[in-house]
Amino acid sequence: MSFNKLAEKLSPTHLFSNLSTISTKTLIQMNNVWASYDAKNYSLKEITLSIERGTNYSIVGQSGSGKSTLLKLINGMMIPSKGQIKVDYQTPNINNKEFKRAMSKIGYIPQSLGLVKNITVLENVLIGSLPRIGKLNSFLKKFPESEIQEAEKIIKLVGLGGKSERKAYMLSGGEKRRVAIARALMQKPILLLADEIVSELDQVTAREIMDLVADAQQRLNLTAVMVHHDMQLALEYANRVAVIKEGRKILEIGIEGDKIIDFQSGNISQQEIMELYNSNEP
Amino acid sequence: MNPKNNLIIALVIAGIIAMSYNIDANPAEFVKGIPNLTIVLKEMTEIEPNLFGTAFWSMLETIEMAFIGTVVGVTIALPLSMLAARNLNSKFVYVPLRGILAAARTFPSILWAILFVIMVGLGTFAGVLAIIMYTVGFIAKLQYESIEAVDSDPVEAVSSIGVSKWQLIRHVVIPESAPHLLSQILYMFDYNVRQTSILGLVGAGGIGFYIINYIKFFEYGKAAVFMLVVLIAVLIIDFVSVKIRDKYIVKAQKGMEVKI
Repeated sequence: MSFNKLAEKLSPTHLFSNLSTISTKTLIQMNNVWASYDAKNYSLKEITLSIERGTNYSIVGQSGSGKSTLLKLINGMMIPSKGQIKVDYQTPNINNKEFKRAMSKIGYIPQSLGLVKNITVLENVLIGSLPRIGKLNSFLKKFPESEIQEAEKIIKLVGLGGKSERKAYMLSGGEKRRVAIARALMQKPILLLADEIVSELDQVTAREIMDLVADAQQRLNLTAVMVHHDMQLALEYANRVAVIKEGRKILEIGIEGDKIIDFQSGNISQQEIMELYNSNEP
Repeated sequence: MNPKNNLIIALVIAGIIAMSYNIDANPAEFVKGIPNLTIVLKEMTEIEPNLFGTAFWSMLETIEMAFIGTVVGVTIALPLSMLAARNLNSKFVYVPLRGILAAARTFPSILWAILFVIMVGLGTFAGVLAIIMYTVGFIAKLQYESIEAVDSDPVEAVSSIGVSKWQLIRHVVIPESAPHLLSQILYMFDYNVRQTSILGLVGAGGIGFYIINYIKFFEYGKAAVFMLVVLIAVLIIDFVSVKIRDKYIVKAQKGMEVKI
């Protein structure tokens, strides 16, 4: 059952109606960004891109191309060596108190998912609400009833109804991804960052997870930035795709229905994209 | 085997011989002493069953001392381990604290017991204080090491939500290191029961008081009753901890190994 259908069945009123508002303004802006882990070799070079609110944006590249680094730059876990980044008018930096507040609205799902294995699904999802909880209550693990109800609703919406008391380590790979998505949605995010969340799954489960994210993204008017190495999957789900190769953006395309538009040279076919993606030339 | 390994083995053997000479460890003395051991063992078989009641109650007292010492020690050790973990604090906090914890661990419980007997007098209370002291030093070290070894993935993922350091500790670090903690507490209780059994040697209560006194007066048959009770109690505690470990720890670890 799709996310939309489930949501309608479970909740007559729009569950997340107050979470975010549509805006045509740019949410993420990167200008000539360079990033490096060792101050010698750059994992990202000359990256310039602009992501508008409400976009389902995919970043595609082979492993080691620098695409995960790009997500870490957006959520402030990493600082660029050169260039400028703005996310919702702020410069991302985890050490900056003001941006730390903004981080509570950025749902980040790392490739490892980052679930706490020894606690239940419900407790994992409630972590998403921590920035809204007072110090004493969060120390006592005392969550307001409204947050618990919201977490239970989200758990049902991601298809894990009846499993909220199950420990995270007992779940399958697909279920773990649903918990990570639920935790991110619990943040009431304006931006969702997902790093290769379907890379280790079988085709059927991968598509179920992608459907879930796409439906949540549309329903909540979220901006989603997803990293993949599967170009086919990106073309199917995203409305914009950037291709990264050896740290550089080599192509940026927009998808409208069956049409694929290369922002530099006009129309481009899917075959041409695949050839470019698979070629060995940088 | 290559020549380098042979040389290492030869050096180790030469070292053991030289050190044995230095500390007067003569294997011939061991062989010569075997008849003495058979005399003691023979006397030990002449056990006095009427002492089993006293032995049982003194063992219970020993277990109570170990239990109180372990629970109070762990309770004190936990917040200290949070402060002593390198990944959670600045070096101005963890360096001096680690020094204090190392000092608590340096002396075995029996030396702490001597100190507390001087302080609070003979009896079980001195023994409990000694067990607490050693437990704090030991559990805090094991715990800050497991906190430092906590999987960095959930720490990184939850940090990116913008939570505070204490929220991160409460909701990620503590649950992630909890299986280790349970295992460490069981180990510590096991260890403390054995330790408490000998604290009586210095007058700090427990079953060891009877054992040392009967041995002093060459009443090996009576001492054997108490030693037998210690052996049975330790075996039962070992059996119970294996069951708890299987139920709560091994199962959890197996679950974690499930591949996608």
